[in-house]
Amino acid sequence: MNEAKRKLLNKRYRAEANFKLFGQIAIGLALLFLAVFMYKIFSKGYTAFQKTWIVTEVHYDKELMLIETDNPSLEDLENADYYDIAYKAMTRLDPSLPEEDDRQLIQMVAFTYEQEVKNHLLKNPSLLGKIAPIRLTASDDLDQVHKGNYPRDIPEEDRRVNDYQLKIYDMLNERGDILSKFNLSFFTNPDSREAELAGIASSFMGTVFSILVCLAFSFPIAVLAAIYLEEFAPKNKFTDFIEVNINNLAAVPSIVFGLLGLGVLLAVFNLPRSTPLVGGITLSLMTLPTIIIAARASLKAVPPSIREAALAMGASNMQTTMHHTVPLSMPGTLSGTIIGLAQALGETAPLILIGMVAFVNTIPGTPVDPAASLPVQIYIWSESAERGFVEKVSACIMVLLGFLILMNLAAQIIRHKFERKWN
Amino acid sequence: MRGNGTNMTKISAKNVNVFYGSKQALFDVSLDIMDKEVTALIGPSGCGKSTFLRCLNRMNDVIDICKVEGSIKMDELELNSRKLDVVRLRENVGMVFQKPNPFPKTIYENVSYGPTIHGMAQSKSELDQIVEMSLKKAALWEEVKDRLDEIGTGLSGGQQQRLCIARAISVSPEVILMDEPCSALDPIATAQIEELIDDLKKEHTIVIVTHSMSQAARVSQKTGFFHLGKLIEFGDTEKIFKNPDNQQTQDYITGRFG
Repeated sequence: MNEAKRKLLNKRYRAEANFKLFGQIAIGLALLFLAVFMYKIFSKGYTAFQKTWIVTEVHYDKELMLIETDNPSLEDLENADYYDIAYKAMTRLDPSLPEEDDRQLIQMVAFTYEQEVKNHLLKNPSLLGKIAPIRLTASDDLDQVHKGNYPRDIPEEDRRVNDYQLKIYDMLNERGDILSKFNLSFFTNPDSREAELAGIASSFMGTVFSILVCLAFSFPIAVLAAIYLEEFAPKNKFTDFIEVNINNLAAVPSIVFGLLGLGVLLAVFNLPRSTPLVGGITLSLMTLPTIIIAARASLKAVPPSIREAALAMGASNMQTTMHHTVPLSMPGTLSGTIIGLAQALGETAPLILIGMVAFVNTIPGTPVDPAASLPVQIYIWSESAERGFVEKVSACIMVLLGFLILMNLAAQIIRHKFERKWN
Repeated sequence: MRGNGTNMTKISAKNVNVFYGSKQALFDVSLDIMDKEVTALIGPSGCGKSTFLRCLNRMNDVIDICKVEGSIKMDELELNSRKLDVVRLRENVGMVFQKPNPFPKTIYENVSYGPTIHGMAQSKSELDQIVEMSLKKAALWEEVKDRLDEIGTGLSGGQQQRLCIARAISVSPEVILMDEPCSALDPIATAQIEELIDDLKKEHTIVIVTHSMSQAARVSQKTGFFHLGKLIEFGDTEKIFKNPDNQQTQDYITGRFG
């Protein structure tokens, strides 16, 4: 081997090594971004899965509850007055406090504390007349203090928790009367103006219903359209025109579909506003071209030899398509569908336009009940000034990501099942 | 090699012209295919022999730009007619392709597919019988009888091709078209297929396109030599290989071009 040739060879090896290196750097950067993103979300959000309680004692005093009968029924308990005993349960934390400052103690728990006392008794009616320990949801400010998210060293007038409340908090904390447990209500509560009570049940169900509606509308239409275009339609100018427009449709910004939903579904068809039904249909407009394109691509990918084999056996076009081509293309179609749905899952703009941004404090039971959706919930909470919502935003993102991962996993499992069957 | 044919014409092609768009692929091809004989079509790549073969079961319909002119009669039925029911035709004219293309389904499903869609079996046991018969005829039964529910694409190349032959004969077609059935196979598998072809001609009329002249000489009774879309010479295999009339045929057979 002469010198020139050796040099050329070395150059070629070097080029390959450099290319590999750049590839590795690219992947490394991508992973780094992902890690930073994940770290940010998790470190901010994980505290939202913990909830803080204040433990105190409540005296179920019949007199204060305005119960006159000796053997009160559940209904009597239901109608009893809990205001005074709940109030007293809080003020007993610091008996030395002058009465006009009681609000300072009351502010340390969520405004639903009276309801919580009531629920506690309704669950344990035998406690009537007795003194019992009870845990009450701490206010979001105290919650944040307990989680260490709220700085204690800023001047008192700038702080939402004053020195007195901090003193009581420290005292309770020392006694072990501040509880921190898994925050179930984050998953079971609908949205609320109070961060300590706000949950994702409404938006989660809204998202589930929207996706189901979206799937129900887009999948059959898209798959049928793809099969017709790919297997049956004559190849001419008109079908070319349709193909171009489907590709255009896939590139239309989602907010335009939102306007379409607003203008057609709400204004013309008078479908109920703010509901997953309308949201799902609007999203299906976005998902439709994605699924059509994926389904056509996977139909195209079915080897022509299979089609020929079926046709040569005397199968009709329809039989060839339904018995062979479509089943073989299903894994690809399904993965395209999942990708389309995953896009729809994270879509916010069109849902805001059709009114799914409304404050919904009920959990939807059907697709025609008003609901929010997870991405819109993230948007709503990120607009809130209260510190308690910061962690909720991250937690909601985590739930959304978890939802996405779950969907992809399901898609993978389905795909593998199909592929094993067809290989 | 003598055919056991009844000397009846099964398929008669007259003045067949085929166009792919503006390009003409076949020029005025006329030939008669005898019943229960093996007819081999030979010629260099792109000579139109496969195109002709695909006219016989209307597989050219799949290609949008393909246009076929002329007359192809099978018995008394005109094949090149708009009114022809291609589904019925293909039930009668089976095809085996160059590359083994079993369905990615079980061996059983591969063979039972044709009888099922054409409603040939009244019961499961009847269908089982058809599958067994077809696999036996294709000389595959002994190798796969214990694993009929395995996926057909998991077999070896030669087995796959025999599975495709079993699939083709499952509907008892009168004619079997084979488009270079051995080109993807090793010599042992090729020998098995050739033996099979010899067997099959007892009941079926076979038209085989092949690149291998020795194969044509071994299996066929009649041979047609195509070149540049024209049928140069057609006649008894023995004559074509020993004493062709045409110089081009002579040159091709002796390996001077192609």
